[in-house]
Amino acid sequence: MNISEHIMAGFTYFDGGCGTILQAAGLQPGELPERWNLEHPDVIQGMHYDYLLAGVNILKTNTFGANIMKFAGEGELEGIIKAAVDNARAAINAVESRTPLPGRSDDFSKASEKHYVSLDIGPLGKLLKPLGDLDFEDAYEIFLKTVKAGMACDVDLILIETMNDIYEAKAAILAAKESGLPVFLTTAYDESHKLLTGADPKTVVAVAEGLGVDALGVNCSLGPDEMMGIVDELCEYASVPVIVNPNAGLPRTEGGKTVYDVLPEGFAKSMEQIAAKGARILGGCCGTTPPHIGAMIETVRKMTPLPLSEKQHTLISSYTHSVEFGIRPILIGERINPTGKKRLKEALRNDDMDYILQQGLLQQDQHADVLDVNVGLPEIDEPEMMIKAVTQLQAVCDLPLQIDTTDPVAMERALRRYNGKPMINSVNGKEEVMKQVFPLAKKYGGLVVALTIDEEGIPTTAEGRLKIAQNIYAKAAEYGIKKKDIIVDPLAMSISAEPDSAKITLAALKLIRDEAQGLTSLGVSNISFGLPKRDLVNGIFFTMAMMNGLSAAIMNPGSMEMMKAYRSFCALKALDENCMEYIAFTDEYEAAVASAAPAAASGDAKKPAASTVSYEGIKDEKLIPLVDTVVKGLKDKAGALTAELLAADVPAMDIIDGALIPALDIVGKGFEAKKVFLPQLLMSADSASAAFESIKEKIAAAGEKQESKGRLILATVKGDIHDIGKNIVKVLLENYGFDVIDLGKDVPPELIVETAIKENIKLVGLSALMTTTVPAMEETIKQLHEKWPECKTCVGGAVMTPEYAKMIQADRYCKDAMETVRFAEEFFSGMSS
Amino acid sequence: MGYTVKTYIADSDKLIIPGREVARYLGYSREAIMAGDELIEETIKKVRGLIAGKAVYCRYPVSFFGEDGIQMPYGAVHSSQLYDNLKGCEEIYVFAATIGAAFDRELGRAKIRSLADAALLQAAGAAAIEAVCDELNDRLREEAEAEGCSLHRRFSPGYGDYALENQKGIFEILNPSRLIGLSLMDTLIMSPEKSVTAVIGVEG
Repeated sequence: MNISEHIMAGFTYFDGGCGTILQAAGLQPGELPERWNLEHPDVIQGMHYDYLLAGVNILKTNTFGANIMKFAGEGELEGIIKAAVDNARAAINAVESRTPLPGRSDDFSKASEKHYVSLDIGPLGKLLKPLGDLDFEDAYEIFLKTVKAGMACDVDLILIETMNDIYEAKAAILAAKESGLPVFLTTAYDESHKLLTGADPKTVVAVAEGLGVDALGVNCSLGPDEMMGIVDELCEYASVPVIVNPNAGLPRTEGGKTVYDVLPEGFAKSMEQIAAKGARILGGCCGTTPPHIGAMIETVRKMTPLPLSEKQHTLISSYTHSVEFGIRPILIGERINPTGKKRLKEALRNDDMDYILQQGLLQQDQHADVLDVNVGLPEIDEPEMMIKAVTQLQAVCDLPLQIDTTDPVAMERALRRYNGKPMINSVNGKEEVMKQVFPLAKKYGGLVVALTIDEEGIPTTAEGRLKIAQNIYAKAAEYGIKKKDIIVDPLAMSISAEPDSAKITLAALKLIRDEAQGLTSLGVSNISFGLPKRDLVNGIFFTMAMMNGLSAAIMNPGSMEMMKAYRSFCALKALDENCMEYIAFTDEYEAAVASAAPAAASGDAKKPAASTVSYEGIKDEKLIPLVDTVVKGLKDKAGALTAELLAADVPAMDIIDGALIPALDIVGKGFEAKKVFLPQLLMSADSASAAFESIKEKIAAAGEKQESKGRLILATVKGDIHDIGKNIVKVLLENYGFDVIDLGKDVPPELIVETAIKENIKLVGLSALMTTTVPAMEETIKQLHEKWPECKTCVGGAVMTPEYAKMIQADRYCKDAMETVRFAEEFFSGMSS
Repeated sequence: MGYTVKTYIADSDKLIIPGREVARYLGYSREAIMAGDELIEETIKKVRGLIAGKAVYCRYPVSFFGEDGIQMPYGAVHSSQLYDNLKGCEEIYVFAATIGAAFDRELGRAKIRSLADAALLQAAGAAAIEAVCDELNDRLREEAEAEGCSLHRRFSPGYGDYALENQKGIFEILNPSRLIGLSLMDTLIMSPEKSVTAVIGVEG
């Protein structure tokens, strides 16, 4: 019986803790326990042997920290892993041949029949990007080295344990799957039942099962009693067997030593409860000993395990939480998709990530459950942009994403990098497309959107669309993809082109729900293409679709008509407890209606400092309300007022020169005179940015190009990740009409020089917060001087002084954002004259 | 013999985060600092909900050699300023503290949404981690005073000639990544961003 069969057949027992046993045998603090495989094989074999006598099935090799970062010497890692596996095998051989180890007991009566060796892999001790600095692919490579060393030895499975970051777990699972061996995963939760990086047990199940682990569960950090809630959740959602390896209670210190307070009898009692909940792979972690595990096995052996069952929950997830389909309709925000959106197209072409991230956060505020991410434009490198969009969105937004692309390279790379279990948009009934998408979905996990179109086109009947859906389910099953991980999109098409189109789509929704018990999704707003006031039709169609069983909608959560339909539907269908969400929505609805009315200039500014100013210098009277709004820092109003002015045919340049810049000057002078301080200055800058956003929308829609007062590069230098200062400078410069190429933070000198040459840039602004990164600034300036001498530099940041700036040969030191603006004005006016 | 690293958890609701400190970080004038500021008070309130102040600390023996040599628990260090700071001490506390990753995530979002919010959060976060350190410092002082000892001023890697490189040694002995989710990057910057490591001399 191999291990995969064993876990299906009944209870399987892991061994317990290792650290406390090795410490008792003399392991010193700071000493690497993995070295003991070579230096003290007798101790390691003895530990394994004692666990086997207690009745254990699976031994964890003493390789928790065995990775190439710790054991970097030639062949060192391989040597340690081989010794570790040999030690486990030696113990198993001794027990199976009933030959006691030297000086050991010969009571084999409690030993189990079947024994397996698991290659034990622990976390790397470094945080992955964006939280830390370890790249996902580097983590994967490090794990892969350990896995390969293990594959060269006689191991039965790989156990990835004590993971406290689901992203790191994903890298480890992908590496472990390369071995072809069964892969088990256990993660470590804190008292709030979450991983360090935020995932709950349900989310871990979604991600790990998506990646194809053979068993999953929990270990370390907590004692069995503190784990009960976690075990409940794991057993509710996991279809694979659940593993529970607790500590012997919580650690405390006694006379300078770490001790655990749960004794073998208590441990066994708690594990009995855990087994009754449905866990079937049981063992221990820190503080547990052969007596703990022996007592547990003694107790649990008398029980019958609960049968395994295929759970029917359809889950997707981010790195913190999951979204379940089939309970109430799921809202998928459609705003990050360039189709028909000129402003987004422009952002994609200009690599303006901030705009894309703003769209993400905005939709999160508007209560989207999931964000669709489509960055396909013919003139950009889609795979590269997709990775950028996915990783940067995930750095700031914790909603699950829908990877939306027809480019298989972009899809694979995004699925690999994605932190969680995504939606995959899309597959369809064409053989060729299924052949491309299903292997990726199988490898990385995901909920696949299946369009009811095949080689013959889109069927004109609901039955025809159901048939394609059924073909797709069947094909998916061949790849091992379950029906619950397919969501069918029966396609909404414009009623202005095909009068029956809505009727067919609605009938298809109903058929897929009733005949196939399948989930459905629609791009709802397609229904109204070509009609005026599309929102009106969309809202009603959305209601009808939900009535016919729609499980998810790709839609604009900023549309009041759509949200009205959604909130009312949920309230009416008893999907909104006490109508709380409906009631909250009515406030948003009223606010939206109010803001749609012409914006008034006055408002309750939170900003006292600059409120008593005169606007004598403003020539054009109709611009005064906007000036006042920017001075007071009323962001939303500034955007709306600007849109109104543009709609009244006031030229964009008049608004910039006649209102925005004079307003910023008023606040800027107050700042320079120390009458206004940074937050007030920035509130005005935020307001001017909102005004600019309205201008950009208008310009993009008209297909024009914005005039620029000069282009320059900004970057936070290599090694430095502090970018608030640089961002402040950027926004103010943009508000004054400059075109900023923002290279971001931690930027290598070479990239700055290369970009300056390529874009013919004559001014580079560099920022550094820490003394340790000043050399990187100096290096950047040196390289610029060598390779692009016509370029000037200005520098700033917390550690900079005029003297420092001189020393590293910068052309100018700017003490704050306003001074940088003044310098840029001076610099570019000098260039043009 | 091993040293047991202890964990300290701050109560976010009770933490004293002075508005004046936040105003100072934001570059307010002296009069404006004294006047108080509603925006700042609101930000501090928000920050309380975002932070989970945690620290790990441990007490170790310390000895000195040569003109500026200090035998730290993780190895020998040369720093005349730390040497002066620790003179007269036979023991030190070493600690690592953080306000957690949720703050970083919110700051990341604020950077995209609103610069004003980002700058306010940034300043309030800086004041919050100082507050966590102050509170821990007070607790350690009480502990030391109960034994008739006194504490010197706390000193962090990167102050004067006590090189930032010492972060590595401190992370090795305290292992804060496992206990409080605080990790050190290759650039010697910590993640979460609002975190502090420091040494405090124990005299007497």
